[in-house]
Formats: sequence, structure tokens, C-alpha cells
Amino acid sequence: MSQLLKIEDFTLGFADRPPLLDSVSLHVNDGEAVALVGESGSGKSLTTRAALGLFPGGSEFSGTVSVQGLNTLTASKQRLMELRRGHASMIFQDPRAGINPVRTVGDFLTETLLRFHGLSRAEATERAVKQLEQVGLRRAKELMDQHPHQLSGGMLQRVMIAAALLNSPDLLLCDEPTTALDVTTQAGIVRLLREEQQSRGMGMLFITHDLNLAASLCERVYVLRRGTVVEHGPTRNVFQTPQQDYTRQLVEATPVIDVADVDAPAAVGAPLLEVSGVSKTYQLPRGEVITALDNAGFSLPEGGSLGVVGESGSGKSTLARLVVALETATTGELSLRGVPRPHRTLKAAERKVLAKDVQIVFQDPYLSLDPRIPVGNAVADVFRLHQRQGRKQARASAAELLGKVGIGPERFDARPRALSGGQRQRVALAKALAARPRLLVLDEATSALDVSVQAQVLELVEELRDQFGLTILFVTHDLAVVSRLCSEILVMHQGRIVEQGPTARILEDPGDDYTKNLIASRPRPLWDAEPVIA
Amino acid sequence: MAVMDQAQAPAPPQGPAGKGVKSRAARPAAYITKKVFALVATLFVASLAVFFSRFLVPGDPARFLLRGRSPKPEALEEITRQFGLDKPAWEQYLNWLGGILHGDWGRSLTYRQDVSDVLLGRLPTTLQLVALAAVFITVLGLFAGIVASLNKGFGDRFILITLTAAGAVPPFVAAIALVALFSVGLGWFPSFGSGDGGWDRIWHLTLPALALGITYIAMVARVTRSSMNEQLLREHVEVATSRGLTRGSVVARHVLRNALGPILTVSGVLVAGLLVSSAIIERTFGLSGIGQLLVQSIDRLDFAVVQAIVMVVVAAFVLVNTVVDLIQPLIDPRIAAGTESR
Repeated sequence: MSQLLKIEDFTLGFADRPPLLDSVSLHVNDGEAVALVGESGSGKSLTTRAALGLFPGGSEFSGTVSVQGLNTLTASKQRLMELRRGHASMIFQDPRAGINPVRTVGDFLTETLLRFHGLSRAEATERAVKQLEQVGLRRAKELMDQHPHQLSGGMLQRVMIAAALLNSPDLLLCDEPTTALDVTTQAGIVRLLREEQQSRGMGMLFITHDLNLAASLCERVYVLRRGTVVEHGPTRNVFQTPQQDYTRQLVEATPVIDVADVDAPAAVGAPLLEVSGVSKTYQLPRGEVITALDNAGFSLPEGGSLGVVGESGSGKSTLARLVVALETATTGELSLRGVPRPHRTLKAAERKVLAKDVQIVFQDPYLSLDPRIPVGNAVADVFRLHQRQGRKQARASAAELLGKVGIGPERFDARPRALSGGQRQRVALAKALAARPRLLVLDEATSALDVSVQAQVLELVEELRDQFGLTILFVTHDLAVVSRLCSEILVMHQGRIVEQGPTARILEDPGDDYTKNLIASRPRPLWDAEPVIA
Repeated sequence: MAVMDQAQAPAPPQGPAGKGVKSRAARPAAYITKKVFALVATLFVASLAVFFSRFLVPGDPARFLLRGRSPKPEALEEITRQFGLDKPAWEQYLNWLGGILHGDWGRSLTYRQDVSDVLLGRLPTTLQLVALAAVFITVLGLFAGIVASLNKGFGDRFILITLTAAGAVPPFVAAIALVALFSVGLGWFPSFGSGDGGWDRIWHLTLPALALGITYIAMVARVTRSSMNEQLLREHVEVATSRGLTRGSVVARHVLRNALGPILTVSGVLVAGLLVSSAIIERTFGLSGIGQLLVQSIDRLDFAVVQAIVMVVVAAFVLVNTVVDLIQPLIDPRIAAGTESR
């Protein structure tokens, strides 16, 4: 077996700054699937792009990156283009951003065939249609004339894969190709990639931050941290008996569904939040009516923890926004501590009263904090508003609370941009907690974070839950995260609640087909034919 | 957020793929009808504003016609009746509007001719001037913008500074400078008159068109540059590069093509400015176009001519922008689908 991709002592960086990649060495053999695992900023994308001779402008590099013997660091432009046209293809993270929105799918697919493979338009179209069918898209002929915005994310990623395969590459580079997709869609894409890689005997380098995903697809793995390879070897060895501390942390932080470990206390108190028959519909300008939430009903007792699980478009975020009164229900009753919610937009005074009891933490801490306001003041402002504290007292309370969530006093006057994603999410949590709410709504609050940071934030939420006796409504797409934090689960699909009940029961014995599908879609290691939830 | 019933792939927020097909035939027709209706409505409102603004301007046109002589009341009355100025305002408006629809713009007070004849004698010069300026603006503006955005560093900065300077030059200063350099100094181009049609006309109009367009070249170049820069950072450009497309293909097919929308929008808005600024240029280069006619007619309170010219300018502006709106969905199909937010 020859080495298809060989990276040796590859160092990349900008002048006068510490290198982004430091002597990275890895190789991919013919027909082998290799994973490159790391958290954000570890340099995995840079490494992969180097294989195609794509470097950030103004960067300096040394070492060798060779694909089939061609050193991409020194190769001429012409040789690089030949490499990209016929020997190595790349699949990118977000298909919606990666396919030109103003051109048709057909144009995207045939572009390279027409230009570089000398095919006529008819031949190219025929090849493209065949390839689309092969990657599992129906009505392929119609798709050729459609524009990307008319396709769903999963379909687009299949188009992207089809485009990569059309060049019949020897090396397939995948840059987090399923991160932007739902779990059930991801399962399909992963299966497709595995099949194609096996049947074509392609070499594959698969970048991901998700250890489970890497294990489900690749025989070997490299773990990258801050630009250096910390550990590599057969996937099973690395994940089951990690040698390095960092790998061990990463493996431990990766959420898995473990029914025995559902330790969230079962709720006992009186109902805090009661929802019955709630629907939310939106009318589009063209008269079309979209039902985002259909006849939802549940009750959440004081001190309880409920996980709302669903994929994009399932209505889970709508539900969260209804609970915090960012939206008004079209029909149905919603009551908090026995007080019914009026069927209209709340007045400012009413909202303030409500906000004292219900707080929400959003998905993206980069967007949900005001970039101009120092984080200490942001938290102190909440104390002043809801606890009627004076300026000085509020600062003291804020400092104390920030300390509890692990933000030291030295960060009190820092602006959000000086903090990392995990730190920002802690600040967002502190802001929510400063109101001393009874109900805390977490809307995908850990989805944008790295696994190790996610683990820390989850731990923090667990602590706070036990410490303050908080009631938690956790909205997420990740079953594993919910299983760790919530005693009850509610599964949503297409605006309806398809199943609800105690976490352990739903995970062990799902009643609804969709729930079963959701659980079965979780990536499983290659060495483990049984579901992870055994 | 859309909720759909496809089992395999969950819907993107824009809605299921099937819907685009179903209403594809109906939507463009509705879109075009809406735009054309907006065009007609705008022209109607403009005609109201143009016509009735005359009543806000001080001075009596009939009195002006008599050049300051103190006329007999009967003579004044006669002239007033002759031009229909004695009727109520709304009736005057209806007559005027009805006339326009038949191609009759009324009679000029100063030229004692039909307004349409006065206008038709001068409109071609202005249109040719503006058209030539538009060609310069498109070619030079796009070129400068593209070169600037593709050559980061010195090239970009040099072009940017040049553009800023060019954008700050008023048209009449540019006109004088161009004449000094190219006709007086080098003798390449004439400095006066509009030539006899064909190449001679283009030769005569080159300097005026350049002087007219210089500010707009700077604007279009700037928009092109920033729009291209925005597109260059998009992931689909990197994808195209990673598939082995040449730099030229990537720029033409994926960067410039996607950057056209904003460039076109700005260009549409610039048209009004071009028509108005042409008055100054026509004066400087001794061209008899509608710009100069407009200035003279305002001076002489020749309201029929003023109204006609303003209507022509408004119509040209609205028409160009409607055309821009109609082209936009062809450039970016998401606009037709009403999902341009992404």
C-alpha cells in the first residue's frame, strides 16, 4: 500500500506569531479512512486545505505535504489545479454556504466536467444525473435545474458529495461534512460516505470534532490540539485506551447515552409550568400557513428537568420562545405557577414580572451578549433591574455570581470579545441566574461549544440546578446531552410532540418510530455493531 | 420555520423543494405585473408633483412672455386664454395629461413651437452623451473595482486613493481639466460642438462623457470593489477553487456574477444624477441637449418645457430602476423566491 497523502513536519503560521500548525505529521494510505479529530482552533481545517494547496493569504509554511508524490507546498499552480481536478476532492462543512446560491445545481455539478474533462453539455448532464441518483437523490433530472435554496441541507450535502465524486478522486477530504445537518440526516450522509469510500477504494481524511462520528467511519485517527498531533493510532485503541491526558479528557467529555447514569432527580413539587393545547402558526405573505407547533401539552413540576429533543424545524425552539413569551401562542393555554398567560404580546411591565421567574440562555454566546458592555456590568444590570439592588451592591452580587460560574474577578471588566466561547456562555448563564428565576430555559445552550467546554457548562448547569433548586427546560437536538441533565424527555417532530416520559424509559424502550430512528441515528463505532445504549 | 413532511431530509427554513417547482410559472408573472404597476403608479404621482409644483413657483408665465412691458389687461387676458391658464388647475392638469398620452406636450412659450419638437431636437444629443458616459462608467468603473479587489495591498490602495480623488472632482472642473489636456494640450479631441453623427459624434462626445462620468466611475468602482470583496470571502468561492477552477473562472463565474446585484442597484440610482449633471456638461462643451434647455426654460418660466423635461427625466429614472428590479431575480434567483435574507 502506498501513501496517498503524506504530511511531514508541516508547520504553518504568520510572521511574528506563534505557529498555527506545529510539525504536523500524518499519512493516509490508499483506500484508508482516517479521522482528524480536534476542537475549534486546533488547525484541522488548515491541515486538510494544505493537501489541496490552499493556504491562508500571507502565511508562512515549511515541511512537506504530498499527495501522490506531488508536494503541494512547492508545486506550480498548473500542477495544483490538475491535482484538484482529478485526484483530490474536498467536501465542506456547510453545503448551503459552499454551493453558489445564484447558479443551478446542474451548473455546479457540470462545471468541472465541461471545463476539464472534455465532456459535451449533454454528456456532462447525463453523468451528473447518474451521480445524483447514486448518492440517493430522487428526481435527479429536476434537481439539475433547481437552485440551492430550493433544496434542504441534507440534499445539498448529497449534491456536494456527488460533485466531489464526479471528479473520481483518489483522495476525499471531508471538512466536518455533517456538522450543519440533523442527526437523522447525518446518519444517511455518513453511510453514503462509508459506502463510496469502500466501493471506490478512495483514501479519505475526515475532519470532525465528534469522536463518536470519527469512530463510526474511520479505522485510524489523529488527535490534533493547538496545531500539534497529540496522539494517533487505530481508532479503537485511541478511544478505549487513550494514552494522553488530552485525549482522555476529550473521550470523557464526549456525551454518550448511558441510561444507568441518568441521575437527574425526579421532580416532586407542584406544577410550575403547564402547557395545554398550545399551537403556533405563521402566515406567509403568499397565504400559506405554516404550523410551527401543533397542539403541544405537558406539565413541568417545580424542581423538575425536562429535555425537549428534536431536529431543525421540529418546533422545539418555538416552544422555548413561547415559554419565555418571545412569541404568543395562536391557540392554547400556558400557565406559570398557576397564572395563565394572556393571548397577546406582553406589556413591558408584565414582561419584567415574567422575566423574574423565567430566563433563557440562547445557543450562540457570540451573538447573545452585547459586545460593548463589560460582562460584569451586564450581570450587575440584571441585579439592579430584578433585585432592586444599588450600584455597589449589584456589582458585588455580580462578582459573586460570576465567581460561582467560574469567571474570576479579573474578568469583571472584560468585554465579551476578550472571552472564549465557553466563558461567554457562562456569562450568559450568570446573566440568566442573576434574576433568580424559577425556570431556566436553555435553547441549544451548549450546541455551539466544543465538547470539552460543553462538558464543563453542563456540569455547571447540573451544579446550579442542585444548588438553587432550579427548574430546567433544556431544548436540544442531542439526546446524549439531555440524558445527562434531564429526568424527563419530550420528543418533537414536525411541530408535534411524538413522545414524552421519563428519560430512562424513552431511551431504553422508545415507543414512537421517530424516537427509535433518532436513537438509532446516533453514530456507532465501527467495532461495535450494537447500539451505544446497551 | 417551515415544517414539512419529507421523511429523509428536514426542510430548510425556506420551505420544501417541491414548492419552487409548483409555482415557478406563476411567480415571475406576478412579480413583473407588480413592478409594472409600481412603475405606472410612480409616474402618475410624479406627474401630479411636476404639474402642480408650477403653482408654487412665484411669477405669472403670461406676464413674463410680455417681457416686462406693462400690458393692457385685455392682451394679458388673451394670452392667458390662449395657453389655457384661465381654467381651474385640475382641468389644466387633465388636459395636460391627456395631451401627453397622445404625444402632445403643449406649446413652448419662448420658442412658439410644440414642446415635443423642441425636445426631439435636443433629446438625442443628451441621450447619446448619457449613453456614452454609461459605457465609460460601466467599463472603467467595473475594471477599476475588479482590479482593486483582486490586488490587495498597493494596487488596491492606489486605486482607492485615485477613486476618492476622482469622486471629489465636480464635473465642470473635470471638464475644464480634460479640455485643457486633451484638446488644447494634445489636440486629440474637439472641445466644442456635438459633431455630425456616427464616429464623428462619438469623437465629439468622448470628452463630455468622460467629464460627466468621472464621479460615477468612482462610485461604481467602489461598489464593485466592496461587493467583490464580500463575495471573495464566501465559502463557495473556496469550494470552486478547491475543485481546480482557474482563477479567472472563479472570479467571473462565482465572484463577479454574485457581486452584480448591488452594482446594478447603485447604477440604477445613478442614472438620475447623470441626466441632471448633463446640464453643466452640455453648457461647458456647447452641446445643445435637454440639460441646457432645462436651465434656460426655468430661467424663462417656460413651464411647458420644464414640465416635459422633468417628466422625461423622471420617466427615464423610474424605467431604468424598474428594469434593474426586473433583472435582479435573473441574477439572484433567491429574490424571486422572496428569501433574499440569506
